[in-house]
Amino acid sequence: MYDRSPPPDRLPLIVLTVGAALGLLFASVSTYDFAQHLDRQVHGLHCSIIPGLGAPDASGTSGCHVTLMSPYSSVLRSLFWGGLPVSLPGMSMFAFLLWRGASGLLSPSGQDKGAAQSLLAAATIPLLTSLGMGTLSLFVLDALCKVCLGIYISSLVSFIGAVWAYRAQGARGGIEDAIGDLPSAAPSRALGLLGALVGFVALPAAAWAALVPDHGKYIGTCGKLTATDDPKGVLLPLDPHPGGRAAIEVLDPLCPSCKGFEDRLLASGHAGALDRKVLLFPLDNSCNWMVGGTMHPGACTISEAVLCAKTDAKRVIDWAFVHQEQIRTEAAADPEAAKRLVLQQFPELKNCVGGANVKAQLNQSLRWAVKNELPVLTPQLYVDGVRLCDADTDLGLDFALGTILSAPPSSPAGAAAPARGDR
Amino acid sequence: MTRLEIPLGALTGLVPVGLAASWILAANGRLAEAEAAPGSQPAVAVAQADERGYCTPALKAVLRRVLTSCGLVGADGTGGRGCQPANAKSVATMEGEDFNALFLPLAERAAIVEFDKNDATLDPQDAAMVEKVFAQRGGASYFLVVARASPEGSAVHNSELSEQRGRAVMDHLAKTFQDPELEREVGLLWLGEEYAQLDADFCAWSRSGGADCDPKAINRSAFLAWIDCRI
Repeated sequence: MYDRSPPPDRLPLIVLTVGAALGLLFASVSTYDFAQHLDRQVHGLHCSIIPGLGAPDASGTSGCHVTLMSPYSSVLRSLFWGGLPVSLPGMSMFAFLLWRGASGLLSPSGQDKGAAQSLLAAATIPLLTSLGMGTLSLFVLDALCKVCLGIYISSLVSFIGAVWAYRAQGARGGIEDAIGDLPSAAPSRALGLLGALVGFVALPAAAWAALVPDHGKYIGTCGKLTATDDPKGVLLPLDPHPGGRAAIEVLDPLCPSCKGFEDRLLASGHAGALDRKVLLFPLDNSCNWMVGGTMHPGACTISEAVLCAKTDAKRVIDWAFVHQEQIRTEAAADPEAAKRLVLQQFPELKNCVGGANVKAQLNQSLRWAVKNELPVLTPQLYVDGVRLCDADTDLGLDFALGTILSAPPSSPAGAAAPARGDR
Repeated sequence: MTRLEIPLGALTGLVPVGLAASWILAANGRLAEAEAAPGSQPAVAVAQADERGYCTPALKAVLRRVLTSCGLVGADGTGGRGCQPANAKSVATMEGEDFNALFLPLAERAAIVEFDKNDATLDPQDAAMVEKVFAQRGGASYFLVVARASPEGSAVHNSELSEQRGRAVMDHLAKTFQDPELEREVGLLWLGEEYAQLDADFCAWSRSGGADCDPKAINRSAFLAWIDCRI
């Protein structure tokens, strides 16, 4: 009977090729989701371990969203809007591995020693990158991105295939043979493969940088504050930098996007150039009549605590950012939970939180928003009174803020332009 | 090297380039479309004062007249403070019962601070009620204080007494909340005994007085309410 099983050195290459193909698929899904946002609109994300399964998630709360909007989803963000998504070189790496795996499979003699070594070296890159990104995702972002998980698994499968292929090749020709032949294995071929790898990575990156839309023209066109005076003292110091550009951040201490924005702002390196104050705008209808429901249960109480803390407001906000999910969950079940939690952490605010005065002050914060006809959403950032467009508060933050800060304070980019919604 | 290796390399190498380019060009296209039709983007709500269902045209018309005549709306703040009994009726242009009926939808929002007979002093219970109601502003634009007096004694004295009651509330608000815009937020009317006396039904409303309530007691009072209407 005819033996249909593959030759001994084919199976590792099949494993590698399948891993690379899957990696290319997952990295493509991730890059596609990133590229969608270049139109400055809101898009759902394909957040599934099986690409294409289920509708795109538009909630903005998935692990994929947290990861995509994090400072780690792209590089070179200051150079162009959004930067270069890390999943794009990921696509290139997997395409390269796919090519090498398929070439080995198509070759009657399998792959030579140099090819096996270069394949192993190439497969190490996505594995190491996956380890780094996975660590960031789990321990810094505290989010699990299913598409990213697909990339991590594909990287591991590819690497296993590459190690296996290398060992199989070594066994076939003798390990000593493989090692001994390395310098003379075909340096020109190794160089050729290295050049090909560089081309695989550089060409898509160059195309991306060349084609990415010009977002600079939108900066400063999304409205401005009309009444910046603060007679009722509702603007609290958030991150004072005397001499920095005057900035007002509109936030809800229990809003996940606000936390993400803070992370991106700090990672951008521009925070030190801003003299930031905060305007509290809790998306919780127990105090905010402008929202239809309680999007973030407990946000009014935590906002009261921030107001009570006065100059120490940032400490309460930082604590709330870390414990957002716990506070929201417990406050949804028990309206008193937010007060209990915040007073456990900040007992010195006991005589203030829940009092008539602080409630009135929080109300004045909301009225400040009314006076300036602010959009009902968080976060928002105003630099020198000019609003950063919503699209520029996430992926485009580094680029947009860098552009604003590089303009003179008296003439922020497009300061006089009329308000326009860009989302 | 097989003869397929280089074409295969070119093909796989072009996949990331081609996909990335096509996605970016598509985003460019959508961006251009959005620019060409700016109204096609979903509108974002803008922060504004609250407007409740009870803000009928009739109520708004009366409020506008009352607040304008009482120096609250529109002004530079120099128009004086408060409406006296003599002009309240003409401003409202309606009978007292109709005037009171306008405020019936505010039952959940309003409170009545009750004073002792021939007295305009806020006791601790009264002060607490004033603070509680004022702190529950929500999205309301104006705070109305409508002070009255029971029909005992002279009309002149009762007019003065109701004015003192209204001002006692106002002074307490100023002292407690230190709100620089208080003068522009609080509408003050004192009606004495001459106009829009409350009937006994108002005894069922939130009050600072004790269990005993009658038409005389309920009118030794200041009616407080935030008005959730955009005027």
